[in-house]
Amino acid sequence: MPDFVTLLPQLLRSGLGNLASYLAAHVLLCLLPAFYIAGAMTAMIPKPTITRFLGRGTPRFLSYPAAALAGSVLAVCSCTIVPLFAGIHRKGAGIGPAVTFLFFAPAGNILALVYTGNIIGPDLAVARLLLSLAFGIGIGLIMALLFHNDDAAHDHATDVLFAAQAERGLGRGSLAFMLLWVALLLAGTLKLGFLTDSWATLDIPLGGAADMQSWLERLVPFDARNGEEGVSVQGAMLILLLAAVGYASWRGFERIQEGFNRWTGIALALTATTLLFAALRVEPTASGLSIGLTGRFVGVLAVLLALVWLARTRIAEEELRDWLWESWRFVKQIFPLLVAGVFVVGVLRVLIRPEWIEALAGANTPLANLVGVGFGVFMYFPTLVEVPIARMFLDLGMHRGPLLAYLMADPELSLQSILILTTILGRLKTWTYVALVALFSTMAGLAYGAWIDGASAWLIATLVTGVLGVLSMALWLANGHLAHRHT
Amino acid sequence: MLTVKILGPGCANCRRLEEIARKAANDANIEAEFVKVTDYKDILAYDILSTPGLVIDEKLMSSGKIPAPATVTQWLLAARSSA
Repeated sequence: MPDFVTLLPQLLRSGLGNLASYLAAHVLLCLLPAFYIAGAMTAMIPKPTITRFLGRGTPRFLSYPAAALAGSVLAVCSCTIVPLFAGIHRKGAGIGPAVTFLFFAPAGNILALVYTGNIIGPDLAVARLLLSLAFGIGIGLIMALLFHNDDAAHDHATDVLFAAQAERGLGRGSLAFMLLWVALLLAGTLKLGFLTDSWATLDIPLGGAADMQSWLERLVPFDARNGEEGVSVQGAMLILLLAAVGYASWRGFERIQEGFNRWTGIALALTATTLLFAALRVEPTASGLSIGLTGRFVGVLAVLLALVWLARTRIAEEELRDWLWESWRFVKQIFPLLVAGVFVVGVLRVLIRPEWIEALAGANTPLANLVGVGFGVFMYFPTLVEVPIARMFLDLGMHRGPLLAYLMADPELSLQSILILTTILGRLKTWTYVALVALFSTMAGLAYGAWIDGASAWLIATLVTGVLGVLSMALWLANGHLAHRHT
Repeated sequence: MLTVKILGPGCANCRRLEEIARKAANDANIEAEFVKVTDYKDILAYDILSTPGLVIDEKLMSSGKIPAPATVTQWLLAARSSA
């Protein structure tokens, strides 16, 4: 394969370049806070506050939304998703809410939302959230309708698992802590004038800054038409800082159950420094670096100070320990895969011709949406890697409708998840679920694509709500009928 | 001898929990047999909503979080004196 061999250096460069620009541009102000928020949610929200709405006795209008809420705040990794899913199915509210939970968790959790919004666009993140919510509940209702005999058979099972009351509610300090992290995320990512404008500029004479920039541009291919973003001097420094944060976190968080150590403090201080530095506007000039003190910098600084104060005065050390461990665990679990995935995306970008994508999924047709879903089902990417993949397709000319169809199908369906589902649900129910997810993802893509192409949002919302209304009506009738026959 | 079961498919939290439990048993000089339960069918036999779970002599002590090492030691001591 002479072609491939001559291409190899270019492939590697493209892969590394993609990785560098992602790390520099997207990871810091968006993913770093998101990991800490996900950790805080896992460590600080007492699970019974939500799961007690997932018991057998809960009315349907509460159990379905509660299942979706559980998917969005309790379940970032499969460690939580599978047991909770099986528990809701066997011992709790039944197959409907369990399926809603399963469908909504990969799209509704904070990491997925933030990452999708940052890399692809807030509109797609919101569409993914809303449509996953609507169709998650829809698929749950259909499954409950199809298999209502199965639920009736479980009725003798006890409800103990979900009867537990929270020993303590979500503390006010913990809530404020989480909200502050969300504020940090917003201050770091929103593209509003008062945040991006510089309030003051500082010029640092630093010979060679301009040279370094042009060296970086030669090192990392930079072509906006292909969606390549390049790396700035600031970006290169951030990557170094990020590596330092990673090392310090390893030393400081890995054995956090045994207590804080010196490295814990270093890791946190480095993280804060990195976030602050990322919020500055740094531009190379002929004589050195021009550093702009942005509104973003001031915002991030204020939130960080508030966080430190809150953590010192209002939050127990044990809770902080749990929080750091959970956040670190998410980073360890997701980040390496994400890095590998982004590298592979950079390589693929060179190989895939835009014409292919254009021809297959360039317009919002049912076929194009099916192609998106099919690709999502047969390809398995680890958590969150679906997002950079989607970004690549978008850059190569995929319509946003089929793109959403792909994004909805990919994390839901993979060989691995289908196998686990089969052991819990059995073959018939699993494949029904798979078929429904494929169908509804296609519909979601079509609906969102229609909105992109100019259809009225109200019309689409009415249609979606109408479908859901008919479904819940049917379920109500079916259950009524069943109850009638029993008496 | 106590039987300590770690419930979980092998994710980071389950490994860490096992480490902590083994150390706790070792430090307190408690003889215990450790069993890793990784199959979801067996895990779900216990009333558990998220892994990792810690079971001491068939009693579910904690689930969904890593308990502090000192707490695990207390549980082990209590289980031994009641056995």
